[in-house]
Amino acid sequence: MSNDEIFAAAYREHYWAVSRYVARRLDGRADDVEEVVAEVFTVAWRRRADLPAAALPWLYGVARNCLANAVRGHGRRRRLVDRLGNDDTAHGRHIAAGPEADTPGGWVHEALARLSAADQEVLRLTAWEQLGVDEVAVALGCGSRAASMRLHRARRRLRAEIDRMRPEPPIAEHSCMTAPKEHGHG
Amino acid sequence: MADELELLRSADPVPPGGPHFGDGPLDHNAERRLEQLLRDPGNGLPGRPRDRRGPLSDRRDPEGRLPGHVRDLLLPGPRRLRLAWGLVATAVVAALTLTLVLSGPSTPPAVAAPRPLVVETGSTPVPLHRLAELASAVAGTDDAPRLRKGTHVQSWSLGMSDDKPPITLPEERIVRWRADDSHTELVVATDPRHPGRPVLSDEGDEPHLVDDGHVLLDRTYPPSWSDAPPKSPPPRDPARLRAYLMEAQYTDTPLTTPELLDAMATLLDNWTLGARENAALTRLLAGAEGLRPVGRVTDRLGRRGQAYVNDDDGRGVRRMLIMDPATGAVLGLESTVTAPEPAFGVKEGDVMSYSAWMR
Repeated sequence: MSNDEIFAAAYREHYWAVSRYVARRLDGRADDVEEVVAEVFTVAWRRRADLPAAALPWLYGVARNCLANAVRGHGRRRRLVDRLGNDDTAHGRHIAAGPEADTPGGWVHEALARLSAADQEVLRLTAWEQLGVDEVAVALGCGSRAASMRLHRARRRLRAEIDRMRPEPPIAEHSCMTAPKEHGHG
Repeated sequence: MADELELLRSADPVPPGGPHFGDGPLDHNAERRLEQLLRDPGNGLPGRPRDRRGPLSDRRDPEGRLPGHVRDLLLPGPRRLRLAWGLVATAVVAALTLTLVLSGPSTPPAVAAPRPLVVETGSTPVPLHRLAELASAVAGTDDAPRLRKGTHVQSWSLGMSDDKPPITLPEERIVRWRADDSHTELVVATDPRHPGRPVLSDEGDEPHLVDDGHVLLDRTYPPSWSDAPPKSPPPRDPARLRAYLMEAQYTDTPLTTPELLDAMATLLDNWTLGARENAALTRLLAGAEGLRPVGRVTDRLGRRGQAYVNDDDGRGVRRMLIMDPATGAVLGLESTVTAPEPAFGVKEGDVMSYSAWMR
């Protein structure tokens, strides 16, 4: 297969997974998601010679940078920064706890939002994109050992935040909930 | 008790089986874009306008790569993000009151890029260990300043463009925490070196002039807690503070001097140190290799200070630490480019970032 064909196959296979990745970090706003995903694949197209066999973690890495660039873009910076929580100066903590905080996961999101952007990302990649440590390393552009260390610390911090703010209902209720497995890691 | 990752997994806001972005055939738009890419091998979709894209430390090519020296400076990953945003966000200069003076449409704008601080010729360098002793003595006094969560900082951050000269964005930021663990944040565009003159801001689509004191952010945050550095209170013991700063930098290895200075900036962007914490920090700085005293400077807020320089030759950055000779407290940190980045119009000697912290 030529690079173009490999790219087209990866595009078809992973388009929706990349869309979910972006949507999870943009509160699912469809218009913005589509725009950012388009940019992700445009960048991936330019770099298609580098596309690894396990394409999805690599595409997440491209998406991560595109999101960061989108945040840094002057046009939409403030708006996106608020959503991404990447900037201490405009951190997502301003989102006040509302009725949604009582929904399953609302308080987990709040616990997550209290962590650093780096902690949040390694946790999201593991829990939501369901990447293994080696794949997280590809997405973050670091070594496996560093990824493992970051995950370990981030988990500890998340645990501490959860313990601090966990509501009364038994946790077992949440642990019984299962999310469909992300597929196609490459 | 449920595993924290399981809890997080159950809170996936966009699950694969959810109503949006679920797996399946491409929709019309996605198909169209793929066809467009395959038809136009050179580029594909139109990219974002390549206008100014933020401070030097933020600059990446579309693939996410940073320019050479800056990339090296900002690696590895998490630290890179942290520092990058730190440089965007930090800043400040004093004198909000002055910003109210002299404003007027005919006043020339304060857009000139600041020059690096100049060490006064003939001034006597003071070794850092002397300041560390001084800081320890101050910490033992009854009316010594106490630790306060939040910060007050004036910063200047360099922003670059592919086709326009670099610009410098001056901001003042004040973060104050309340007893109920909520906090407020106020960010204004101002350059205290030019009170009353319009200043550049990156708010909106394009860098543009705004009035001195223009409010960029004024927000109140609900209560939040964290026991992780740099949000947790800094220790008063040098060894424990060293470990704290390592954790704040996400590293298990001892901090190099540039890393220590960056970690210090992170700390000061979150906390206004008391005398005891300051004594511990100054003790750490005094033990850092390659941080040499160069003499007296006047910082951009008009404060007299002693300067200490670290040359990070491999990364093309010189950091100048400015200390208060009366208390041993940190006044500011200036990062200057020592290796040019011609692609972005950045020359040797350009100030990449400058933070001046106040109480």
